[in-house]
Amino acid sequence: MAIMMPASDQAVLARRAEIVAALRAIVPGEGVIDTPAEMRAYESDGLTAYRQPPMVVVLPDTTEQVSLVLKYCAAQGIKVVPRGSGTSLSGGALPLEDGVLLGLGKFKRIREIDFDNRVVVTEPGVTNLAISQAVAHAGFYYAPDPSSQIACSIGGNVAENSGGVHCLKYGMTTNNVLGCEIVLMSGEILRIGGKGCENPGYDLMGVITGSEGLLGVITEITVRILQKPETARALMVGFAEVEAAGECVARIIGAGIIPGGMEMMDKPAIHAAEAFVHAGYPLDVEALLIIELDGPGVEVDELISRVEAIANACGSTTCQISTSEAERNLFWAGRKAAFPAVGRISPDYLCMDGTIPRGALPKALARIRELSETYQLGCANVFHAGDGNLHPLILYDANKPGEIERAEAFGADILRACVEFGGVLTGEHGVGIEKRDLMPEMFSEVDLNQQQRLKCAFDAQGLLNPGKVFPTLHRCAELGRMHVHAGKLAFPDIPRF
Amino acid sequence: MDTLRVRDARDVEDVVRAAIANEQPLEVIGHGSKRGIGHAMATNAVLDLSALNAVTAYEPNELIVTLQAGTPLADVLSLIDSKNQQFAFEPMDTAPLLGTPALGTIGGMIAAGLAGPRRIRAGGARDHLLGAHAVSGFGDSFKTGGKVVKNVTGYDLCKLLAGSWGTLSVMTEVTLKVMPKPEAERTLLLRGLDDAVANKAMTAALGSPYDVSGAAHLPKSAFRAGTEGLGDIAGQGEPLTLLRLEGITASAAHRAGSLRELLAPFGTATLVEDAASAALWGMIRDVLPFAASGALAAWPVWRIVCPPASGAALGAQLARETGGDVIYDWGGGLIWAALPPKADAHAPAVRSRANAFGGHATLIRAAEDVRGNIDVFHPQAEGIAALSERVRASFDPKSILNRGRLRRGAG
Repeated sequence: MAIMMPASDQAVLARRAEIVAALRAIVPGEGVIDTPAEMRAYESDGLTAYRQPPMVVVLPDTTEQVSLVLKYCAAQGIKVVPRGSGTSLSGGALPLEDGVLLGLGKFKRIREIDFDNRVVVTEPGVTNLAISQAVAHAGFYYAPDPSSQIACSIGGNVAENSGGVHCLKYGMTTNNVLGCEIVLMSGEILRIGGKGCENPGYDLMGVITGSEGLLGVITEITVRILQKPETARALMVGFAEVEAAGECVARIIGAGIIPGGMEMMDKPAIHAAEAFVHAGYPLDVEALLIIELDGPGVEVDELISRVEAIANACGSTTCQISTSEAERNLFWAGRKAAFPAVGRISPDYLCMDGTIPRGALPKALARIRELSETYQLGCANVFHAGDGNLHPLILYDANKPGEIERAEAFGADILRACVEFGGVLTGEHGVGIEKRDLMPEMFSEVDLNQQQRLKCAFDAQGLLNPGKVFPTLHRCAELGRMHVHAGKLAFPDIPRF
Repeated sequence: MDTLRVRDARDVEDVVRAAIANEQPLEVIGHGSKRGIGHAMATNAVLDLSALNAVTAYEPNELIVTLQAGTPLADVLSLIDSKNQQFAFEPMDTAPLLGTPALGTIGGMIAAGLAGPRRIRAGGARDHLLGAHAVSGFGDSFKTGGKVVKNVTGYDLCKLLAGSWGTLSVMTEVTLKVMPKPEAERTLLLRGLDDAVANKAMTAALGSPYDVSGAAHLPKSAFRAGTEGLGDIAGQGEPLTLLRLEGITASAAHRAGSLRELLAPFGTATLVEDAASAALWGMIRDVLPFAASGALAAWPVWRIVCPPASGAALGAQLARETGGDVIYDWGGGLIWAALPPKADAHAPAVRSRANAFGGHATLIRAAEDVRGNIDVFHPQAEGIAALSERVRASFDPKSILNRGRLRRGAG
């Protein structure tokens, strides 16, 4: 394992049998798993390059049990790693050798559907897609749609602030969540927000969303639902040069059009996807854009023609416009299957997730090509082009000595380039362990200290999901200390009125 | 009282560090347009950010603008308007309601987080703040977020800064998302509905696929002489329910037609277009019927947020009980209530009604002595209040910034 996790607490490991027994007293029956064979299912999440069996797995099915487990662990100084469906692409749910893995998989009930207030109150283990399915009969859906939506849990979506193809127009998880029930590491159960648009006081829901399971364990979530647009159509536009495709994206946004989705694939990704799903993608182009417009038919038709004109003006070489739902779905099929498609042409791949300003797309692609040469590893690129979120897929073979290390170094260089171009390390997959040690590329020690102070307000012992997000852990007492700024005792030379 | 007019982020750091060393709390202001909101502060020095007023970068094609915190909101709005863009959350101008001259600064807009009618569709200030540089109560400059929309790198401290009323950190520079202005807007007007029926009409509209971007209701009593912006519409003296559709012209017109059919059971809607429609929504956004220049100048004004479908039940009860007036926005999810003058501004009635319906209430306008008598911001459950205080202390352990503004007696 290339990344260092916090040192295991030998005293805790020595008491494993006693801890397992105590957890069984809280969660009876099959809710506590402690055999190596059964725990294997939990040793990794979507970042499969990293594996670590936990000390023990606990699967509570009530908020009360979650509270008692956390209270017990806090009192005993035992680390806890929360887990939803285990689809994190950044290692957010990677277990710790001396930690309890707290799975929320049994929280599978939708508690309330309230069409008048346009919200769904759900338990965290419900999948993203299941929420949309539960309200589809009334024409509603839940907008954020990460590619893993069949499997990923809504609790995990809140922890990671998940995005998806449609977040360009409809926002990420944080823009679609209204409230939650959360259990702090102390065992304290809190309710935040509800069915109203805004919560009183500090926006705790906002900062919990995307906190990667470090602040608390969510046991209930209230999400906003929307009416499905009347119709959706897509364009599939090919370009002989990546720069032209990037220009097309910029001009569409510049023209005041916010498509429902706007995705780009480069040549290796197009070829891999076409070989896999036969969507009819043009194979002689360097870049392919899939642009979806949604809304009433009259609006979609008008915007399709505006986008088509922009694409022509940018020198598109092919342009197909969907005329049926089947065709629209076919356009998307290749894009949605891009990851498994790449999995067919390479034994292994690393999926990166930086964001850059839209205007830097051509520059970023050129840099990725250079790095691909340097590291002698292939790379297929799929982007959420509308919001500058890159997903370079670095191809490698884990069985060849040194290739995973090269692939990781390649990926780190891509993310450094994202920051250099004015962007960020992660757009939607989270920091987890994967980008943890790159955090100083984007944040100073002062920036990171302020974030860790916030962590202290929720979990002063640092027992919840330690080793994720932050490269260096500080004790809360140390973070809370005020510096004495010597020689600055009086107000300095500031204009006064 | 000292007013320290800082010139740059470094000055802010110096002032905060000196304030920490001297244990001298600071009141943080831009233009000071919202100083009348909150409790009287236990401060004896003012940190004035109005000289930090530069536009750092405006990139229309990236849909972002980066600004120093003291930049006048009016200047920013006209800058982005020149590229046909806007802040989609429709920030409120509190000046008419509070009776202050200035529109305020960008930092004040974010710190207050008062979004307008489009919040139901586009989110609030918290949804549009992408990144910030700020000085914490530790006297340290830090940054959070970035300059791109899609970003999950580290905790989203921007969410805490938005709506924190300057109690966590002094923002010095912010990056905000801007959005294209819609080509056209259409407002459907329904007349004569009582609050409960109007709430049902708004719920039907917001539950439709027609992408409604504003849903408000003005009971009959909300119309009065001196109400600006209403033109002929006010003259008819009937309750008015407003539903807004925005987008490209063909789409807004089409949806207005569809929505009118959907709402036929509630009456025949009339149509108001573009500039006239914008004037109506400006009036709702800025709560002009309760303006400080009008008949209700002496009445305290509450801002109540609740589950939208409960709005009418809450608002009508409150109006009946207190003899006050209410205006509904956000499809019923936001109630502006002007209540007859009283030493406690009817706080027990407001708060018990709000609590009963799962809502919360903030006293936005009241004389200082009234604000001294009651909690201006909604009291929170014990555990949430304790966590919020720990969060506050994680930014500002000595309570140097706007001490006492949010909590009565905390000064």
